Formats: sequence, C-alpha cells, structure tokens
Amino acid sequence: MINKSPNLSIKIGSLILKNPVLLASGTCGYGAELSDLLDLDRLGGIIVKGISIRPRAGNPPPRLMETPCGLLNSIGLENVGIDIFLRDKLPWLRNVKTSLIVNILGNSVEEYAEIAKKLDGAEGVNAIEVNISCPNVKTGGIAFGTDPEAAANVTHAVKKTTGLPVIIKLSPNVTDITEVARKVASAGADAISLINTLLGMAIDIKSRRPALANVFGGLSGPAIKPIALRMVWQVVRAVDIPVIGIGGISTPDDALEFLMAGAKAVEIGTATLIRPDTAEDVLAGIRDYMKANSIQNVEDMRLSA
Amino acid sequence: MPRFDIPARIIEQIQLVHGIFLLTVKAPAILESAGPGQFCMLEVKYHNSRDPLLRRPLSIYKTLANGRISFLYKEVGKGTRLLSKRCPGEIVRILGPLGQGFRLVRDRPCILVGGGLGIASLLLLAERIKQSGKLIILLGAGNASEIPTIEDFSRLTRDFHIATEDGSLGQKGMVTDLLAQTLQKIKGMAQIYTCGPWPMMKAVYYMARNKNIPCQVSLEATMACGIGLCLGCAVPRSDSQGFLHVCREGPVFDADQVNWEYSQ
Repeated sequence: MINKSPNLSIKIGSLILKNPVLLASGTCGYGAELSDLLDLDRLGGIIVKGISIRPRAGNPPPRLMETPCGLLNSIGLENVGIDIFLRDKLPWLRNVKTSLIVNILGNSVEEYAEIAKKLDGAEGVNAIEVNISCPNVKTGGIAFGTDPEAAANVTHAVKKTTGLPVIIKLSPNVTDITEVARKVASAGADAISLINTLLGMAIDIKSRRPALANVFGGLSGPAIKPIALRMVWQVVRAVDIPVIGIGGISTPDDALEFLMAGAKAVEIGTATLIRPDTAEDVLAGIRDYMKANSIQNVEDMRLSA
Repeated sequence: MPRFDIPARIIEQIQLVHGIFLLTVKAPAILESAGPGQFCMLEVKYHNSRDPLLRRPLSIYKTLANGRISFLYKEVGKGTRLLSKRCPGEIVRILGPLGQGFRLVRDRPCILVGGGLGIASLLLLAERIKQSGKLIILLGAGNASEIPTIEDFSRLTRDFHIATEDGSLGQKGMVTDLLAQTLQKIKGMAQIYTCGPWPMMKAVYYMARNKNIPCQVSLEATMACGIGLCLGCAVPRSDSQGFLHVCREGPVFDADQVNWEYSQ
C-alpha cells in the first residue's frame, strides 16, 4: 500500500485541475443554483451553461421526455448571453475555489470568436469549452460539429482570439468521430471533450404527436454510456491532446471506465439533475479505488491497449 | 429558505381510492422550511436501478406532528406506480422544499379553486389562510372518487363547495360554475388561488381577470432536476419575453404572467 494520498490533479493544456471530476455544461446552471447541495470547491471544475453572443429564449415546451435509462431534451440553448453572464454570473463564480470553464456557442465562426474575445480578459475564467455539438438548434451548434472543416475553422478562430485553453466539445452524431477529432486537434485545440447528446426522438402514442415540441432532442444519461465510452476510447487513440469523457456517468465505476479508456477527466451531466451531489460521490469513489489499488497518479489509470 | 436532499423513512402509504395514494414520510428538515405551494423531488427508483431515471415532483400536501409530511398523488405512469409500491419502513430520497410557493394576502377574502388532484398543492395554503382571514374553498372533479380527501378541506371553512361532473357529490357541473356563483356574491376585493388541469386554470384565470381579481396559479410540468439546472420545465410567458420555469420561478405564478393560449 502507498501511504501518500493519491494524486488526482491533471493538466489540460496550461490548465491544471485539482481533480478530474467536472460538472458538465447545461446540467449545473451557472453554479449558484446548486451550491447549497454540492460543495463546488471540492470539484476539479465547473463548466457553466452554454453562452451565446445574445440571450436566447430556447425552444418551446415540451422540452423533456424521459426514456429508458435516459433523458431526451431540446432546451434549445436557453441562456442569458455573454454580457449578462459577465455582469451578473461571473462575479459570484469568482469566489468558487474550482476551475471555471465557460461553454460557448455561436451561429457563425465570427460569433464564436467574438464571445471568446470577451472571455479572454475576464478575471476568473480558466478555460473555454466550445460547443459545436448541440443537436437542438437549427443554425450553429451541430452544423459545425458534423463538418470536420467547419469544426477546424471554429477551433482556429477561437484559438486566435484567446490565450485561454480551448476545449472543443464534439458531437457523436457523425459517422467517424476520429476524423473531426483529428481536424480540431490540428487546428490547435488544447483538448477535446466528448460526447454531447445523441440525436433521438419519442412519440406520444396517446396524442399521436412527437413527445418534444422540437420533434428531435438530445439523448443523455446512462443509456448512452457505452457509446460515449467507445468514442472516447477511439478519440484518445487518434489524437495527442487531452480528452475529457462525457456521457451517462453517474457512479464512480462509470468514471473509472472513462479514465481507463484514456480520458484525462470526466464531466458529470444528467446525473447531477437527478442527484445534485453525484460529482462529489464520483470523486470520492475514484480516490477510494486508487487507494485500494495502489495507484499513485490518476493519469496512470489509462489502459495500455 | 434552506433545502435538503435527504433520505426519508416512509411512515405510511395508503391507497385512498383506486390509483390515488397518500404517502407520509419523516422529513423534519424539509418540513421546517416548507411553505404552502412548494414541492419536493422524490426518488422513485430502487437503489441502483437507472430506470426510471428521474425523480418525480410532488406538492407537499400536508405537514404533521413529529416531522412528518404527506404527499397526495395519483398513479399516472411508471414512476408513480413504483412509488406507490414503496412500503412503510423503506427509505425514499427527497429533495426539498423547492420552488416559489403561494404568496399570502391578508386583507381580503381568499377563494381557493381546486380541480382533481390539483388540491394537493392547496391544503397548506388553506390552513394558513384560515388562521388570518376569510376562506372560501371550491373543489371540482369528474366524480366523487377523484377527490378522496374532502374532509381535509371541508373542516376548514363553512364556505366549502364542491362540484362533480357526474353529480356524484355536491353540485352537478364544473368548479367554474361554483366560482361564477361565488364571484356574484363577492363585494369588493378578493384573491383567487387555483391549481388543477390546464383548461380549468385557464377558465378560472379569465373569470378572475374579468372581475379584476388577482389570481395565483400553481403549474405542473415535466421536470428533470426541480432546481433550475436543466431549464426543461418551460412555460411561455404572456409578454412573449421567453419562458417561465415551473421549478424555479414557480410552481406558483401570478396567472397573468402565463400565456394561457399555449396548449400543451
């Protein structure tokens, strides 16, 4: 047995996280919403709700549909916009003792760059996660994530306007995710996070209408974990930059699988909606596993295959 | 007010009539900070099961001695069916109290209009109003068995009226008929509180608006988190400035904030 407590800190580009457990964008608001139910200070980081250049009202309801072991949503990127975020949300977040990663989204390459520029000098912002993968809006979002060239263009534009570490969040709704991963890596991305939700739908057989007003929605939750894990495994072996695993992680065991697949860190998403302190539980479980198996560094978890 | 995510022991689970249950749990911390109109998110799955994935939002129906709170609910799907199978002694995880509840008005008669299981969010309010002012309760349902806890309400005021569509209890007709009769008698200012099916609340709101009577409504929506994280429980605003969120700004709203023409 190793007597020292295990080292959980990891590096994502120039960003050092105190541990590999992060809260995923769109499931933790702007932090304050759940700060009494979860100790944010203990986490590796928080990735706040995707921010656009102007406020967005989001999609009409119904926006949610529960499916077996999963959740379909079409929120439609409802958010306060970058200016209100900087004015009203960021000051509170500065007092949280964890890394702050801001998720951004745009309708054009220029919009992504403009938001990144506004965040560049913002005190308290530690990194940017670029959402090119939301399946619930007609323009922007996934349009960039499913076209490797467009994904590379967004990456390049954001990198050019900010010195902050840039994480590109990939969509699983593509034929070959490694192709997009390679493109954004060579365009200068500091890291890749994946997966965003899988495009899906449900029909209400009583009303004989699609269950979601938007017809299609993004599927998240335990149902998508095996797909997410497979894609993380593939991308880890396709690029040389750090990979952050997302997709149905709700227990320490789930997170350990992603770390073994080669993810440097994990994001907890839908599970936080069901139990706000899931991330703390996952973190404790990773630590316990490392102790029990005499693993000194969390980065040593990756399987060699 | 503080909120808690705690394991609560089930004290009692009674099927009042077919498909309608009264669940009582011990949750002193939640009781302590709960106000009328607030709700909780209840875990319905067993242990490590991932299905159903989400908790279910239920109004706090009643508060009792020794830190006990009750939820009145109807079996409508898989989640509530599983919840109804949970037995006394078992633990159910509860997050609450959540949301913005009813705002009390003391200077005028208060009219509570409940439809079906919408009454579940009105009892605490009725008890509170009774302490300080004039209370009128109007309940409606398809038939008598849909409101199995009438005595909880009827004992609070003499001004208690009920309507059923099949006439099996009280006046035959709709609760809005009762409201029309009541509003004819009201002189001066009043306050309406309502919870029930969307078409009923919509009708109640329009009647209130015609008489310039303020109306608070308690809305229901499919929710994932109950605490403003997912933004899933959106309802269109009347001013077309986007959406209200039932879990965060609600579940109780001033009725004129809501776009009632939107059909769910």
